[in-house]
Amino acid sequence: MSSKVTNRIALSLIVLCAIIMAGILAALLGYILVNGVTSISWHFLTSESDPFLAGGGIKDQLWNSFYVLIITMILTVPIGTSGGIYLAEYAKPGKLTSFIRSCVEVLASLPSIVVGMFGMLIFVNYFQFRFSVLSGALALTVFNLPVIVRVTEDGFHSLSSHQKEGGLALGLTHWHTIKTILLPAAFPSILTGIILSAGRVFGESAALLFTAGMSTPNLNFTNWNPASPTSPLNMFRSAETLSVHIWAVNTSGIIPDIQTVANGSAAVLVICVLLFNLLARGLGKVINNKLSGKS
Amino acid sequence: MMIQLDTNIANFTNDKGEETPVQIEVKDVNIFYGSNHAVKDVNMPIHEKSITALIGPSGCGKSTFIRTINRMNDLIPIARCEGNILYRDNNILNPKIDVVQLRKEIGMVFQQPNPFPKSISENIQLPLKFAGMRNKKILKETTENCLKEVGLWDEVKDRLDHSATGLSGGQQQRLCIARALALKPSVILLDEPTSALDPVSTSKIEELLLRLKKDYTIVIVTHNMQQAARIADYTAFFYQGELVEFGLTRNLFTHPEKKSTADYISGRFG
Repeated sequence: MSSKVTNRIALSLIVLCAIIMAGILAALLGYILVNGVTSISWHFLTSESDPFLAGGGIKDQLWNSFYVLIITMILTVPIGTSGGIYLAEYAKPGKLTSFIRSCVEVLASLPSIVVGMFGMLIFVNYFQFRFSVLSGALALTVFNLPVIVRVTEDGFHSLSSHQKEGGLALGLTHWHTIKTILLPAAFPSILTGIILSAGRVFGESAALLFTAGMSTPNLNFTNWNPASPTSPLNMFRSAETLSVHIWAVNTSGIIPDIQTVANGSAAVLVICVLLFNLLARGLGKVINNKLSGKS
Repeated sequence: MMIQLDTNIANFTNDKGEETPVQIEVKDVNIFYGSNHAVKDVNMPIHEKSITALIGPSGCGKSTFIRTINRMNDLIPIARCEGNILYRDNNILNPKIDVVQLRKEIGMVFQQPNPFPKSISENIQLPLKFAGMRNKKILKETTENCLKEVGLWDEVKDRLDHSATGLSGGQQQRLCIARALALKPSVILLDEPTSALDPVSTSKIEELLLRLKKDYTIVIVTHNMQQAARIADYTAFFYQGELVEFGLTRNLFTHPEKKSTADYISGRFG
């Protein structure tokens, strides 16, 4: 067979696989959106869910999803990026470093239901946080931390060593080189990674079933005192998120419009994750331009 | 074929044709990468306000050696140095010296132009700001002076806030030299600064170095023997980790003492 023919065959195979992959994704996305979009209305987004009657919304669940996400990100981003910078810049190659790195990898591939069970034993029972926003966010921290560490480390590794040499040769300290040259240069890729991981956290359900709980107290959206039990900001109340809600409604719901609520919730979830992804791209580009000067 | 020496050769060590005092004294320097003995027993002077070229075939240790003069080899965990490099009564290789201060006095420019992915002015001001300079007027003036010194000012004065990565390779390399000058070093080390550049950019950098040697001590690693012959006052020939021959460029190129030097500069190997 001539090399030209081989080339043709390889190209056609790759294109075929790409088409299959894109087709499956588009079909899935289309199915969810087509089925769900009709259920989405202003009323659906802004009213509370109803345990028995039809016509309930997802206001609390949507809020809980964002709230848990924000708390998780506040916990993971500083720790994760610091850990990534340590591994990329300071850790000396050796047994300890490769051990830490494999721990991070194992942690990243842990099944989320295992993380949820672990969260229940540690945060819910042992630390007595109960089913709460905090327990959920801590469980998701375990789930998300390794991802942020990896994203940061990869962001630093993808920079050329010339940048670092340049900084050090100009009499900058190692930390100042990291802070003013390497981190800004790696920032767009780290930010993209963080936002993409936010999408994963936002859609996570298994890790939250036994940590954030499957119910939400009656929230009073005019009460912003975090210590009050009915406040949306209270971290020690249980908080059913959107993806947990989809699961709960489908498995044990007794409302007559299960299908509508589930489809609508799924569509909202997918749209949010889609928005995160678009945001990741746009923001990464804008910040890159800002940090590196006009092009 | 011997290199033509009658034209364009910088045979004079300073404007008056005198040798300048020694600024850095290299004594018995040995460098190891793990078990590989990369640089062996090097002894040589580096004269003030003159250009010293380090030549030799790839892998002869010249880059390793120049990176030792401002301790850039510290970045390589397996690199180890022995011996003395005396500069202002201090041994540069002493682990206790302030490396950050040392690198402010002995700047370095690399083979691959490495401007930071920031604006042109920020590239020059970043090390100054770290050194504690806050006065915006002085920062601006220094930026302008340094860019003028490397002949880049007229090319970039209207786009100082543009990204430095948008400049051509030669412009980037001159920016990197300007950036090193901003800290007012006394010595500038250049590790093959023109090997990634086109001939026009190369000759601009060579002219620049000849101008700069009035105020700075310059050490340059080069693959290009003609370049050494054109700009260097002193030349050191490295081969297989050893300093084979060191001397005034005009003597080394016209009357090499060692056979391997003669073979290398006449193009028989390397």
